[in-house]
Parts: sequence; structure tokens; C-alpha cells
Amino acid sequence: MTEVTQSGIAAEEVQAPADPSPRRRTWRAFRQNPLGMGSLAVIAILAVVSAAAPLIADFPSGYGEEILVGPSATHWFGTDELGRDIFAEVIWGGRISMIIGFAASFLAILIGVTVGITASYAPKLDPLLSMLVDVSLALPVLPLMILVAALVGPSVETLVLVIALFSWPEVARIVRSQALSVTRLPYVDAARTIGGSHLWIMTRHLLPAVAPVIVVAVVLTASRAVLSEAGLSFLGLGDPNSWSWGKILYNAQRSGALTIAWWATLFPSLAILLLVVSATLVSIAYNDARNPKTREA
Amino acid sequence: MRLLSYASRRLLRGFATFLFAVTITFFLVRLLPGDPMLAIAAPGMTEELLARQIADLGLDRSLIVQYVAYLRELAQGNLGISFLRGQPVSEVLMARLPWTLLLTGSALLVTIVLGVPLGVLAAVKARGAVDRLVQMVGVIGQSLFVPSIGIFLLYTLGLWLDLFPIGSAVDPDTHGVARALSILHHLALPCLTLVMAQLASYVLTLRATLIESLGEEYCDLARVKGASERRVVWQHALRNALLPTTTLVGLQIGFLVGGAVLTETIYAYPGVGRAIFEAVGQLDYPVLQGAFVLLAATVVLANLLTDLLYGLLDPRVRTA
Amino acid sequence: MPRPSSAAWTLRALAYTFFALAVFALAGPMPANAQEPTRLAVGTTADVVNLNPLVGNSRSDTWVTNLMYPRLMQMSANGQKEPYVATDWGYSDDGLTAWMELRDDMMWSDGEPFTADDVAFTITAVTEEAIGITAGLVGGSFERARAVSPTRVEFDLTQRDGQFLTNMGFWMPIVPEHVFPEVGQVSEFANDSDWVSAGPFVMTSVERGQRYVLEAVETYPFAPGGRAAVDEVVFRVFPDVNAQALALRAGDLDLIANAIPPAIARALSADPSITLVEIPALGWAHMQYNLERPPLDDLAVRQALAHAVDYEAIRRIALQGQAGSTLSSVISPVLSFWHDDTIEEYTYDPERARALLEEAGYTDADGDGFYDGITFGLLYDQAAAEIANWAQIVRDSSAEAGIEIELTGLERNTYLARARDRDHDIYAGSWSIMEEPAAYLDLAFRDGGFINYGNVSDPEIERLLDEAQAATSPEEALGPVQAIARRINEQVYDNVLYYQEFQFAYNSDRWEGFVPQPSDLLSLVNPLSLASVHPVD
Repeated sequence: MTEVTQSGIAAEEVQAPADPSPRRRTWRAFRQNPLGMGSLAVIAILAVVSAAAPLIADFPSGYGEEILVGPSATHWFGTDELGRDIFAEVIWGGRISMIIGFAASFLAILIGVTVGITASYAPKLDPLLSMLVDVSLALPVLPLMILVAALVGPSVETLVLVIALFSWPEVARIVRSQALSVTRLPYVDAARTIGGSHLWIMTRHLLPAVAPVIVVAVVLTASRAVLSEAGLSFLGLGDPNSWSWGKILYNAQRSGALTIAWWATLFPSLAILLLVVSATLVSIAYNDARNPKTREA
Repeated sequence: MRLLSYASRRLLRGFATFLFAVTITFFLVRLLPGDPMLAIAAPGMTEELLARQIADLGLDRSLIVQYVAYLRELAQGNLGISFLRGQPVSEVLMARLPWTLLLTGSALLVTIVLGVPLGVLAAVKARGAVDRLVQMVGVIGQSLFVPSIGIFLLYTLGLWLDLFPIGSAVDPDTHGVARALSILHHLALPCLTLVMAQLASYVLTLRATLIESLGEEYCDLARVKGASERRVVWQHALRNALLPTTTLVGLQIGFLVGGAVLTETIYAYPGVGRAIFEAVGQLDYPVLQGAFVLLAATVVLANLLTDLLYGLLDPRVRTA
Repeated sequence: MPRPSSAAWTLRALAYTFFALAVFALAGPMPANAQEPTRLAVGTTADVVNLNPLVGNSRSDTWVTNLMYPRLMQMSANGQKEPYVATDWGYSDDGLTAWMELRDDMMWSDGEPFTADDVAFTITAVTEEAIGITAGLVGGSFERARAVSPTRVEFDLTQRDGQFLTNMGFWMPIVPEHVFPEVGQVSEFANDSDWVSAGPFVMTSVERGQRYVLEAVETYPFAPGGRAAVDEVVFRVFPDVNAQALALRAGDLDLIANAIPPAIARALSADPSITLVEIPALGWAHMQYNLERPPLDDLAVRQALAHAVDYEAIRRIALQGQAGSTLSSVISPVLSFWHDDTIEEYTYDPERARALLEEAGYTDADGDGFYDGITFGLLYDQAAAEIANWAQIVRDSSAEAGIEIELTGLERNTYLARARDRDHDIYAGSWSIMEEPAAYLDLAFRDGGFINYGNVSDPEIERLLDEAQAATSPEEALGPVQAIARRINEQVYDNVLYYQEFQFAYNSDRWEGFVPQPSDLLSLVNPLSLASVHPVD
């Protein structure tokens, strides 16, 4: 619990470094990257469309007479095995998928970075924390997810917690391995000798050193969270009363529509692809922008 | 000497991790909702008959007693007898483990063989067209939903162009070279899918750390000393950049072995991941537990190897 | 310390070597060459769980072991039992002795004769060790079995039981006494090597997760030519139905053993090389109302629920027309001998449902569009595609009648556990084979019955059940059985929505001569069918 609060502070620090000018420089460099800006725009559009879902389409329910009919003027993305409009399903599904993806990723990064940095900085805690990470990684994720989903009942909160619970160890490990090569550098030792507080050393020296790894980790975790959500729903662990992109795909799989109704697979898959790709590109662009070497290149 | 004590410490920790993982999963498996008897019991079975079967399977004993008994058996290499199959668990799982190791091993191999040069290429040409292309392809690959891409590949390459077989890991009644070729033929699509899913992790991690390393003082120093940029990249910067990548290998093996369920399902590939998923559905505790033991052992071993490699690569860790 | 590049090189070389070794290790030794046999590739969605035919109860188990361990009777298209290995059977006048005559030309594949001793051994093992479904079906009245001659078995019964012979005849595969362990250890016997068969095929190899290979047995008296026409049957496992259908179209499979989902069936019917066979289910899909959860104990509420289901839409949309009505009866018209077509079918009539509820005093005081207190959870298995689909239609059409349905779609084991504990308002499910009404009505509607998901406890039904079960001929049982069905229908103890018309697909460019048998348990993969199928010339 204390770890979570600590990294709450840590996360703020990384968003708002003391020196404002590098941040402005980073932003300027970021703006010059068309791929990064384009991706940011895509994410924004996806977010707005999801938020405005009730204005765009009716909540998909009931059944229609046209079963598994391809895209047309009335059904832009075609219909599913109960004759429901897939366009509406994708729009409404985006809400749940995005909420789950970003919430789970946020939680996982929070825990992972805290544990990783603490482990690298505090040699006494390292064996224990590393062991915890190793154990968590060795646990079979899927049956555990089934367990939790079945015990607690499948819901959005369950999915967020479950995905975050099984994503943080990877972050922690990557962060720890990068931070380890920094903790013993002379300037960290120097900071310790001159009596810098532990928190100060961790946030001022370790966090910046592992920042590039964290950004990559954010990307990988967020993308894996959206994909995990899809995977879990696909295995039948989704909430039967709400829509997500994974649920649309699960319905298509279960009813045998995967190969015979390309639209039932393509559009939700594309939505996942678009979101994950954009998120990834944004953080890559960010990574480049904040690195002087690549910025000047 | 230092490396030796580093190695033995890791070994000890690996063992502790394994034991811990076995313990946790033992209890979690038994917390799974549902009643294993329901998978076995037939309609019409009386309560009395049910009770007798439960006693036969040892399910009426307390969890602690079951746990101690399990550990004792495990120490002798005995994974128990499957509830549903009446066969030794090792027999049930050993038919599948080689295929999982082949699939995940080959996917890892292809990923590294492709990923390291691509990561270097992207870092050296950072922000150039090549970099963008490498990133785009990698990022799209990892963002694809496995069942969707699996069905797409099966449809186009399997049915339409008829280039690859659909389902299984090898044709029956093939021998020698023909069998090896058949194995590779069946392996191609699932392996490709797994490579696509994880390639970007390696490329992006390597690229990010390599760019960082190239800006470090020791690289500038090497440049000042007259080293060619090629030498700086491949010998000085890559050494550091490989550290997080090495870590990633250890992580991905665990992820791959247990997480290839979707790939194995779509391609009908006989792996352990799918066996776990099926055993959950059947509440076959011994098989489930046995699969976890194998999985934990694989992950611990993989992490042990990467830890050792890590120690070899990073002198600071080695001499710590 | 090695330089990273050379370390990487070493690593790579090692990895390549490992890979090459792994492939060749899995490839195994060179062959003793053989010519190409005729091989039929059959797709299933799940591995065989247990190869002991008395224990294994999954569909894959049954399909595979059926080819080796014969049942004594066959089932006709309307669920009646017909001679097969057993040629004749009957009961003594007091009903306490049953007898059965067997064919004299059956052999086990190792050359031993198939005799009455095997039958006596099997039923003794099944009842003493309480193995599987058969123990539940025959255990109640069976006392002992005697092989009075190699072709005649007699059974002593503890009470009159008109279903004893037919239940045993169809549900109990016969295993070889000389191969299986002695009674007391039969249920633990894994039967995972050196198989001995009295069917058309015998298993030769198992590759878990991949395939199960069976070879033709040299003599099988039921096959048209005295032996199966194909040399080999290979069951291949495809966990995903979509990929399985692709494999059929690509020619990697010749036949799919499991019923095809309606959407795939529609697509396959457009493929000229694929032929679809329609086989009606011997069971049905239904909802049972938990009478111990008020207000479901109120007949008016149950009647309202029955009028709030859009049956027509369920059969047309969720099942894509591949289903028929049972007239809301628990005896489907497929069981033509037992079916009673004078029963009144429930109709979709939300107005009438509302009227029923209002008459019974229910109101919508809070104005949310639902009658107060008329909110029920609907429990179903989320992986059962058709049920998950119609559950949504039930929810939406019930809402029209002011009845609120909350969907509780669960993972299979949780679903089974909840159903067993009767932890549901409304239970949704389906039965695959319900062919012997007196037997299944007992399980589903007697107080304390194993699958009495509605907690029905009705003295009238119990009395009729006793009467039906004591009858030693179907004609005698017909009256009470139909009376039970009528009572269940009137009291809305059960709401049967449809019986499914299963679709099975095979490659008709290559194969012909399948012999369809009822339900998805026998379908096209029954022993007679696979013994008869042959390549198209």
C-alpha cells in the first residue's frame, strides 16, 4: 500500500520535472513528428467517439431480421449473428475496451515502477522484491484470471484489476534491470554521500535514468491490456451485459462467424489495432522527442 | 569466483521461487469455483456414490494434508494421476511439452534473429524512413489480435492458396527428413503469429536503450578515440542495450509458454497452454497443478539463464 | 569477458543448433516403409479425456470408444431401442428377472470370442464400482448377472424396472473381461495402450492434443463387406470451430463429428464439395423455474413468463431455423411413440403475460416499466453459443411483458456448480439425449432428482412416475408418461423452447455411404456409419 502512495508522488515528478525548458523543448520536438501527432489525434478521436456513443448509435440489443449481412448503407459495418448492428457494437465496445486498457495499464505502471526502483535502490529489499516479481511471473495468468473472474463475477472492475495484477511484474523487472546499472554509478553514490534523501535520489536520479524504459513499458502494458481484455472476453470471461471489442470477437468466434462474415471480425480487430498502434506510436514519438540525441538528428 | 557465487545465489533463489510458485498455485487451483466431481459425476449418481468417489480421489482430506502429500510426491518426481484420465499426469503433459518448447523456442529464436538487427537499424537511423518503417511494421504486428490474424492466415494461406496445412503439429506416418519438413510446415503459421505478436517488444526495447547508450559519454569517448560508428554501435553501445533485452527474453518465455493459448487454439497446435485451459474447464486438479509446475519450472529456468547471461554481459552486476 | 557481439554470435549458433536438434528429435527414426492406406480424417473440438469407455463421458470419448466397445442395442431415429449385439430381450412374468440373447459371431480383435461373460462382467463392474451414467441408470434395480450360455445373459432385479434392459442396452458399452482388470479396479483402468476391440476399428496410436488413430479390424459382422471399407480413421482435434470448418473446406478433414453451428452450416451449404446432413436431437433446450424462489412458486407468474418468450424469434434467429417446436412439451415429437400432440403450446403474447400478472396483483408502482418484484436471474453457460444467443432474446421479449431478466452467463464449471446447488431463479440449458421418458422424467421432476433444477415436488407426478417405471412394456408406460408431460405443461414446471436439428458436414467429393443415427452422440460417426463409408469412385 505504501508503495502505491510513494509512486504516486514519483509519477507526478516525472510528468513535471523541475526544469520547465526541457519539457517545452520535448513538446516542440514532439509536435514536429507527424506520426506522433497523427496518432495522438487518432486516440483523441477514438476517445471522443466512445464518450459520445449514446449520441451516435443506440445501445446494441435485441435482434434483427438480417443475420450476418455485410456492410451496407443501413448497417455500415454489417450485422452479427443475431442481426444486430456491428457499427453500434464497435462504438459502444470502445468505451469498455479503452477504459479497461488505460486503467489497467496505469495501475500496472504505478506498481511496477515503484517495485522496480525500490528493488534496485534498496539492496536489502531486492531479493524479496525480485522473488515476488519472479513468482508473479511464474504464475499461470490465464487460469488465475478465470478464477478471479468467476469468483468475483465478470465485470469491468474485475478485468482492470486482473490485468493490472498480472502486468506489473514485467514492468518492475524491466525497470529494475535498467535502474540497477545506474544505482552504482558514481554520481548516485555521490548523491548518497552528500546526504540526499532516498526519495530525492530515487526521483531525481533513478527515475530519469529509467524513463525511456518506462515509456516503452507504458506502451507495451497499455497495448497488452487492451489485447488482454480482448483475449479474456474472447475466452468467455467478459461481462455478458456490456459490449467490448473482445466481446464482439467472442460472439463471432462462438457462433462460427469468423471465417464467413469478415466484417464481424475485421471492424473490432481494426479498432483494437488502431488504438494500440496509436498509443504505441505516441509514446515512441515522445521518447524520441525527449532524447536530445534523436531530437537533434 | 564472484561469478560462481552469483550463480549459486541465483540458483538458490530460483529454487525458492519454484517452491513458492508451486505452493501458491496449489491453493489457487483448489480455490477454483466449481466442483471437480461435477465434471466426472453422471446424472443419476446418488449422494452415496458421489461421496465414495470423492474419498477415492482424496478430495475429502483437508487442504493442508493434500498439500503435504503433493509435495512429498513432487519431490520424488511424481505429478500424480489425472482425475479424469486415470493416467499419470506426466504422461498426459509430456505428450505436449515438446511441442510447446518447439513452438515457443522457435518463435523466440526467430524474434531475436530478426529483432536485434532491426532494433539496431532503427536506432542508428533514428527518425529516418527506415526507422519509421521498422517501427510501424513491428507495432502493427504486436497490435494484431491473435485469433483474428490466425484465422486470416489460415483462410488465405491455408485454404485459399493451400500453402500450409490446417491444424496439428505434424502429419501422421511421416518419417525422417519428411517428418522434419512436415513439422516445420505445420510450425510456420503459429510461429509467425507469435513472432509478429512479440517482435516489437524486442525492437522497441533495444532501440530505446540503444539510442540512450549512443548518447552516453563512453560512446563519445570511443568516437573521439577514432572508433568507427559501426564499431561504436555494435561493440560499445549494444553491450549495454542488450541488458534490458536479455531481461525481456526471460519474461517472454513465461508469457509465451502459458500465454500461447489463443495461438494454440486457433491453429489446433497441441501445446501445454491449451492443456491448461482444458484442465481448467474439466477441473482436473492434478493435470492443472502439473502444468503449473512445468510452467513454473520453465520460467524459473529461463530467468536463471537470462540472469546468468546478464551477469556475463554487465560487469557492474558481476563484480557487485 | 567475451565481447557482446561474439557472445551474441555464440548464443545464436547455440540456438540454431538447438532448433535443428529439436526438429529432428521430434521427427524420430527413419521408417519401415508402408503403402498408403485409405484414411478418413474426422474433426472433433476436444481431446479424448478417458479411453476407458465406462468412465469417459465426453462426446469425443464416446465417438472414439464407440468404435471399439459395442453397445448391445441401437437407437432408431425416433429413439426406440433396436437389436444390435443383443438379438432379443425380455422380462419374466414377475418382472424380477430380465434376459437377453446375443449374436454368436462377435469376436474381440485379439481373437477371443465376445460372449455373455463379457456382458456379465461389465455390468457387475459398473454397478459394484458405481461407474458413470450407467450405474445411475441401472444401479437401482440390478442385483446380479449370470451368463447362462455364451449367448444368453440373465439378470436378477430387486424390483420391477421396465427401463432396465433398454437403459443398459444402449448406455453400457461392453468391455473385454480378459483385458480389463478384475471388478474393483475397472474404473481406475486407463486403457491407454494395447487396445482390444469388438467394433469396426481398433486404436493404434494416441498423440494427445493432435490425433487419435484407429485401424480397421479384419472382421466386423455389421459392415457391408464383413470389414470396414476404410483402413484407418483418424480423429483430429480442432479446439476452434472456425478453423475446423476451414480444414474441412481445405480437404484437411473429411468429416466433422460435432454438430456445426448454424452460421457455419449456412456457409458450408454453398460449398459444392461439402454435404450437410440434418439429424434431429433426441433432447431439447429449456428453461426451468426454481419453485423455491418466490414469486416463481406462483403459477400465474410462471404462466406469464411462458407467454413472455418469443419462441418463434428464438428458433428463427438464434437457431437460424435449424430447430423445431416440441409444443412446449418435455416429450419431443422426435420421440414419436411417446409424443402427445394434443398438449397446448405456450405462445408469445406479452399482453396476456401482463394481464396474468395484473390479475395476480402485481403492479409497477415505481414506474420503471417492470412489475415490482418481477425480476429474475437467468443462469446459463456462456460457452453454449445457441443458449447465450437466445438468452438475450428471452431478456428482450420478457421486457416487453414487464418482466425483468438479468443475464447470468457463467463459465461452465461455475454454471454447473450453481445449478447443482439450485442457486438460480431460472435455469437455462439443453439435453442431448432424452430418449427414455420414464427414466429422464424421474431425474428431472422427482423430488430430489439429480437434474430437478426447478425443485419440483408434486405428489401427482411422483405417483405417475412410479406407475410408469413399474411397467415392463412401453405400451403400458405410455399412459402415465403422457399424463406426466401434460401435468408439467399445465403447471409450467418446465419450459421447452425447441429441439435442435443438428447439422453435420462431410466432404462428399471424396466419401459416400455414411449411415446417420440420431443425436449428436451417434450422428455420422457411429460404428455402423464409419464401417460403411467408402471413397467415391
